[in-house]
Amino acid sequence: MKLPACSFEKIVRPHFERLYRLAWRLTGRKAEAEDLFQELLIKAYGKLDHLVHIDEPGSWLARVMYNLFIDERRRFARRRMHTVTEGELRGDGLAGLPDTADPVRDVQRLQRIEQLDAALSQLSDEHRIIVLLHDTEGYKLSEIHELMDIPLGTIKSRLHRARARLRHILEADGTFFL
Amino acid sequence: MQDDREIRALLKDYPVPEPAAGFFERALLRATHEGSRRQRKRWVMTGFGSAVAAGLALWLVGGLFLTTPNLPDAEATIPGITMTLAEAQTVNLVFASATALDAATLTIRLPDGIELFGFPGQREISWQTSLNTGRNLLPLKLIALSAVGGEILATLEHNDRSRTFRLRIEVS
Repeated sequence: MKLPACSFEKIVRPHFERLYRLAWRLTGRKAEAEDLFQELLIKAYGKLDHLVHIDEPGSWLARVMYNLFIDERRRFARRRMHTVTEGELRGDGLAGLPDTADPVRDVQRLQRIEQLDAALSQLSDEHRIIVLLHDTEGYKLSEIHELMDIPLGTIKSRLHRARARLRHILEADGTFFL
Repeated sequence: MQDDREIRALLKDYPVPEPAAGFFERALLRATHEGSRRQRKRWVMTGFGSAVAAGLALWLVGGLFLTTPNLPDAEATIPGITMTLAEAQTVNLVFASATALDAATLTIRLPDGIELFGFPGQREISWQTSLNTGRNLLPLKLIALSAVGGEILATLEHNDRSRTFRLRIEVS
């Protein structure tokens, strides 16, 4: 027998913010992040009977979301949509950022974010996701390992390479700030 | 020279915009409705009519593909679906082929106001694919950005032959 929807909400709602952020880090686009989040909830609702018995539903939900993202990415890769470059798939994340009280600071901040956004779009998905999860979202290496099912050593080396690549791109761009 | 500390400080300030107002509530509501619906409808496609009704267009390729230049244009023969404005929807195109086709080129042309998810602003998307004997499923995640609707054209080319299929989109 199916459990009621209120049980579902009780389990998943505490994880909404973290899951939405994860969706954003994976996809880099608001529309796709919302879509991925939605797909996760639909899938999770179908597994509610299983979900109620999971000790750490947040981790389980994150893994399911990551797998949904990978499945979707593979489907697109198989189609070989040659008219799109990786950079075109990102970059709409700057709208809707909260303003500060200082307009000058807002402009500088926006510039920094745009530069970082452009640099991140030049990384491979593997590097971009790891560096964002670790350095931006504060995931531990062990959490990334659990999420992506990649050896710890590989994660460390990708993290190192991703930072180095970002540094190189930003320096080459002549736009360093801070 | 930037060091890792500077890069990390920069990354730490890389924001995530807020979701649209009420998004979480809508997502939750839709999950419970859609989740229930998917559980009920483990259907197997049995015919063209039911397929279209479920947002799925079935086209016969195979022999027709090799002998006929185009489908009739009469509107009555064009399958159609209704989409909801600003809501992503997967439209499943099924190409039923009597024979396997290697290195075919499929081109999707979208009307104004309809976009393929992840390809903003692109009206035409083309790629190479192979069809197996039998039914070949192509899920297209679409979003309607205007209420105008129109027709999606899917052109399949193999060697020097081609065929165009049409799918009518209405937006509610």
